[in-house]
Amino acid sequence: MSETTVHGGVSTDSSLRRRLAEFWYYFSENRGAVIGLVFFLLLVLVAILAPWIAPHGPADQYRDAVLLPPVWQERGNASYLLGTDAVGRDILSRLIYGARYSLFIGVIVTSIALVGGIVIGVVAGYFRGWVDTLIMRLMDIILAFPSLLLALVLVAVLGPGLINAMIAIALVFQPHFVRLTRAAVMSEKTRDYVIASKVAGASHLRLMFKTILPNCTAPLIVQATLSFSNAILDAAALGFLGYGAQPPTPEWGTMLADAREFISSGQWWVVTLPGVAILVTVLAINLVGDGLRDALDPKLKRS
Amino acid sequence: MNTYKKLIAATALAVLAGGMTMGAASAKTFVYCSEASPEGFDPGLYTGGNTFDASAHTVYNRLLEFKPGTTEPIPGLAESWEISDDGLQYTFKLRKGVKFQTTDFFTPTRDLNADDVIFSYERQWKADHPWNKYVTGTSWEYFAGMGLPELLQSIEKVDDMTVKFTLKRREAPFLANVAMPFASIMSKEYADKLQADGAMNQLNQKPLGTGPFAFVGYQQDAVIRYKANPDYWGGKQKIDDLVFAITTDASVRYQKLKAGECHLMPYPNPSDVASMKADPNLKVAEQEGLNVAYFAYNTTQAPFDKVEVRKALNMAINKQAIVDGVFQGLATPAKNPIPPTMWSYDEATVDDKYDPEAAKKMLEEAGVKDLTLKVWAMPVARPYMVNARRAAELIQSDFQKVGVKVEIVSYEWAEYLDKSKDKNRDGAVILGWTGDNGDPDNFLDTLLGCDAVGGNNRAQWCNKEFDELVTKAKETTDVAERTALYKQAQAVFKKEAPWATLDHSLSVVPMRKGVEGFHQSPLGDFAFDGVDIVE
Repeated sequence: MSETTVHGGVSTDSSLRRRLAEFWYYFSENRGAVIGLVFFLLLVLVAILAPWIAPHGPADQYRDAVLLPPVWQERGNASYLLGTDAVGRDILSRLIYGARYSLFIGVIVTSIALVGGIVIGVVAGYFRGWVDTLIMRLMDIILAFPSLLLALVLVAVLGPGLINAMIAIALVFQPHFVRLTRAAVMSEKTRDYVIASKVAGASHLRLMFKTILPNCTAPLIVQATLSFSNAILDAAALGFLGYGAQPPTPEWGTMLADAREFISSGQWWVVTLPGVAILVTVLAINLVGDGLRDALDPKLKRS
Repeated sequence: MNTYKKLIAATALAVLAGGMTMGAASAKTFVYCSEASPEGFDPGLYTGGNTFDASAHTVYNRLLEFKPGTTEPIPGLAESWEISDDGLQYTFKLRKGVKFQTTDFFTPTRDLNADDVIFSYERQWKADHPWNKYVTGTSWEYFAGMGLPELLQSIEKVDDMTVKFTLKRREAPFLANVAMPFASIMSKEYADKLQADGAMNQLNQKPLGTGPFAFVGYQQDAVIRYKANPDYWGGKQKIDDLVFAITTDASVRYQKLKAGECHLMPYPNPSDVASMKADPNLKVAEQEGLNVAYFAYNTTQAPFDKVEVRKALNMAINKQAIVDGVFQGLATPAKNPIPPTMWSYDEATVDDKYDPEAAKKMLEEAGVKDLTLKVWAMPVARPYMVNARRAAELIQSDFQKVGVKVEIVSYEWAEYLDKSKDKNRDGAVILGWTGDNGDPDNFLDTLLGCDAVGGNNRAQWCNKEFDELVTKAKETTDVAERTALYKQAQAVFKKEAPWATLDHSLSVVPMRKGVEGFHQSPLGDFAFDGVDIVE
């Protein structure tokens, strides 16, 4: 039913705009993805504006307002909308600042893993032979470990801390990107346009990164989105185990770990809210990832 | 997943144990949700309180026992004792007709006598004793820790029912030491049989003693079962079976207690205590614990070698906030290094007042600027400090107000204990101590004496005046005189401030309404002799 619109609407546009419009068309067909994207953009905004919109400092302890419930409950206080934790810090402010850490973790981990993975993967897929074997066996070894466990070991070696946790998670995620890139490069390498370019005298570097790589981006973008949410989850898990962000950093996983003792007592908000923040964020990013896959994967296009 | 399986298994066993005994007229099973698996069943080899609960306080007795609920030594297997005038010879007269337990793995042929006592001590003392190294990789930690190898001159059998201990020097806390779990009396006859059978390590797996409960079986990490000893010298217990259902998570323990799957549990989450008190099926016993949590500076590290700096930082710590935020009020702020329930506690001590303004000024006067301090936070919960990380965060915020930056560090528990002993340690460490025998020496000398520098003395603090007072008190037997000396020592401590004393926690024991006769031990023990269930 919508085919006519597509053909009518995009056919006259220039190539890039047409592609973007086509992308948006498929993406916006997935309503979950749009909701996820809106939420994600909101979160980015909140993170950027944290110092202006957070009602209190993330590490400020209000000793006379310990364990206050959210405002809608009895004893709630309007200046602490979502209540306070065991040392009197405002939970809403901590969640807002925590969004910064979570997004920061996602961006950095994904960037390191993506860039590293692409370089290694392209080299492996392009050159094949012993280089390929060496790289892929190494990646297989990394993949053989349960990812969180390997990250834990790495952090134990490097020492607890947010930066070390991010490095560890990025290293653990790397092999996924390497494999994807290598597979894509291998299938593209024998195509006519690559051979033509080679015959025209293009250097290895140009062939690898200018000719082949742009045609392999779709699966990488999808994988990057999923890694983004996984990175947030893993960093939260490391924080929960005491190996990630150190106090008083308002990282969500660390907040959750700190609130463990309140699970079965009456103060539900100390435990529940950071958990909900992690859940909703990861869900939103995964939905976006789903939408991206729908829009970018030619096999899934219904036209 | 595994934990749940274990839980189910433990529950099933507990139910089974209950079900089986239902047939008999009025058999009673008492289930205790213990907090951890015992390290073994020979209390001489280990230091964990849960290990002592599972062996020393159920299966075994000692020459002297602590009177239930106190730290006062009373006659146990020794009916009476005499101390020679020079304070070096202790003669113990053993109780007559004390029978060892009869179990399905051993049937004793004789009653307790002096050989058993000598065996129990010599195996820990003499390196050439055949039982000295019967479990590889362990040592007699408490025996050595209490200084007994250097203190003991000889242990002699005067006659079958009399044993004489000779010491090298006067040692006032000796009687209390004899009542400690590591000094449990074993059966030499049982040990001889195990040795003849070539199964020596069974002593650590199937304990046999004179205590109120006889060992029945242990299922690793799940459940320990005991039955009341019908031949117990103190009379048979009111309950017939005792079950330890091992439940490591405090929230799960609470759920089981609520569901009636166990009758009593140790170490609740402070945040759960309010709802426990509100539950009509439960009651909560509270007692001031024999413990102290401290914040020990490294007194050899600049600028913490200056008394004024330590004093100023002490004044910057809001102890009440720690009591409220970490313990939800189930603790009291500490001013002395020994707990208020201990004799010789100095009520007159004036605590450093919480005053960040004055503290800031003092720091400025001492010429300290841009100070950064590492604060070590314990990774585990102990009775004296249930959440060291949170305490560290509170201190971090307190110190920020006086311009001192704090970096919080933490290590794995064994590493933490070990690394914090280092004389060149960087930063102040949060730690604490629970008393072993109720003697002030066990706090003041053990934690602050010059001998303990590089060991238990985490402040690395060696003060001549303090050390002389404590050593003199140890060699004095008169309690009034000792009290005076210890009070002076506390004054020196307060003046020199090697620690900030943080808190003494309340020990809280929730149990079912029907439990009667349980005595909360100030030493943190869980002993079940005399306990009854009334439904």
